[in-house]
Amino acid sequence: MAEGQTGPGTVALWPKNPHAEATVTLVRERFPDAISDVVEYRGETTIIVRAERIEEVCRALRDAPELRFNFLADITAVDWPEREPRYDVVYHLLSLETSAVIRLKLRVGDDETPNPEIATVTTVWPAANFFEREVFDLFGIRFSGHPNLTRILMPSDWVGHPLRKDYPLTGIALPEPHWGGQIPFDQPLPPGTGAQTLRTPDGVAEAPAPPNDADDTR
Amino acid sequence: MQTEERATTLEVDESEQLEGGARRDYMTINMGPQHPSTHGVLRLILTLDGETIVKAQPDIGYLHTGIEKTAEGKSYFKALVVTDRMDYLAPLANNLGYSLAVEKLLGIEVPERALYARVILAELQRIASHLVWLGTSALDLGAQSVFLYCFREREIILDIFELCSGVRMMTSYIMPGGLQADLPPGFEQRVRDFLALFPKRLREYHDLLTNNRLWVDRTKGICKLPAEDAVRLGCTGATLRGSGVAYDVRKAFPYGGYERFDFDIPVGANGDVYDRYLVRMLEMDQSLRIIQQALDGLPGGPWQVDDPKIVPPPKYMVSSNMEALIHHFKLYTEGYRPPAGEVYVRTESPKGELGFYMVSDGSARPYRMHVRAPSFANLQALPLMIQGAFVADVVAAIGSIDIVLGEVDR
Repeated sequence: MAEGQTGPGTVALWPKNPHAEATVTLVRERFPDAISDVVEYRGETTIIVRAERIEEVCRALRDAPELRFNFLADITAVDWPEREPRYDVVYHLLSLETSAVIRLKLRVGDDETPNPEIATVTTVWPAANFFEREVFDLFGIRFSGHPNLTRILMPSDWVGHPLRKDYPLTGIALPEPHWGGQIPFDQPLPPGTGAQTLRTPDGVAEAPAPPNDADDTR
Repeated sequence: MQTEERATTLEVDESEQLEGGARRDYMTINMGPQHPSTHGVLRLILTLDGETIVKAQPDIGYLHTGIEKTAEGKSYFKALVVTDRMDYLAPLANNLGYSLAVEKLLGIEVPERALYARVILAELQRIASHLVWLGTSALDLGAQSVFLYCFREREIILDIFELCSGVRMMTSYIMPGGLQADLPPGFEQRVRDFLALFPKRLREYHDLLTNNRLWVDRTKGICKLPAEDAVRLGCTGATLRGSGVAYDVRKAFPYGGYERFDFDIPVGANGDVYDRYLVRMLEMDQSLRIIQQALDGLPGGPWQVDDPKIVPPPKYMVSSNMEALIHHFKLYTEGYRPPAGEVYVRTESPKGELGFYMVSDGSARPYRMHVRAPSFANLQALPLMIQGAFVADVVAAIGSIDIVLGEVDR
């Protein structure tokens, strides 16, 4: 299939959510300065919200009597290293009562702030707890006001954030002796353990500075 | 790090001297990650007051295999196989979610035969997954015989999957664009035999457990989850429905042809372990109904889209047809390029709402594949559920939310 071309019956296959228009209108009316764009693709509506307003917008959507977005399905992020702002943080909202669906998206991160900070939505939906921890762990985006912002999937002493696009895919320096030989339990690990090196076809490149360990609380 | 771990393994947090020489201690202990009833490598850090849970903190990530990162380095065609490994008790449900997401990115729809076959397979997979849940959660509470019976029936389903795909578990049989191969001769008969057999067996499970005094005592009123907490904490699947919220993606947002079938959603009332148990037991009945209808309506015809750029050409053509050879080569080396865009596809896996968020930048690899894993979200409700419960009931609670750690950690 050629690029940009769509198959037969695309429009009928993925109908728009009947509440999408109402949701967009509500956000536009209540927060005219917070909404920066509305995108539609394959029947899914995305509202792009300014990062500093996300908590207010979420709260308003949850409490709106005709929409009642009472369920946070998911939070995740996408890294676009060439773009500024660099990260998309994506919220999938759902209403179990009205079956309304919306995707909120905000854009954060630039060269000065490798670990951008946005407000948590755990105050709106407690479900955000694990999702925000996962985004923090894998992307290094911080959520201010989160009750327990620690790594969730990676070990607590891990350096770097694996789902960033510039995360090295190979080369973790292992201690001597190699894992084949056991390090006694109470002995400290040699310095440099876990430091990442990038192995290229020309040999081992210089270890890149861990992207953000300066302000990383791990 | 290691010494730190050891220090937190066993620690007496607070202790006070009571009258008569007794002492009262809050103690923090580890449950897992190698505990047999945590269903994998889940570690729970429990703060106890005697036998009562004061606080519980799940610690996950022991099975983190970077599936989302791995998928970014593979073509859409090849990233399918990593989805099998997430919820390894329901690989076909994962395949279905992934395939629907990629098809939505591509803007294609699959032929009728594939649609019906997918529904049959997904529902068989739901029964198989529920059978593992039933067997293991009953085993955790001491009902050992149920386990063996459940695995006996699950074996029949796995045999059907093996007949279709050659593989018992990691089938990758449902793929973007349809199925890997046509349903084999004998498939229909095997499924019909299963449909004839299984209701009787399901009755036997009910006889063993549903009114069993020991089972009811261990599960009824235990580890309650109120409906509003289940919603606030993002629970889906039987964990949410057991609390009385009738949300099933197959009904709320029908996908893959589910709107054509007649079935009900069992809903609990009390949100305890027993209700979650009953919801899953009754769901198996509904799955049988869906399979019956889909099997009766199963049409003939193609089982893949008619587009050699998305599905590989038949093997016999590759050696005789130049175009087929080129398509074969292109598909396996480079793959197809969906137009740039993003989709989120929700499906009802046996564990709950399984969401695939796929971002395409127009290249041959997914720019980002995020999985909204139902077990991951359901696990958030566990600390609330077991607060104030006994240590022995933690096992019942973990069994009742039916988590698979491969999916929690991805």
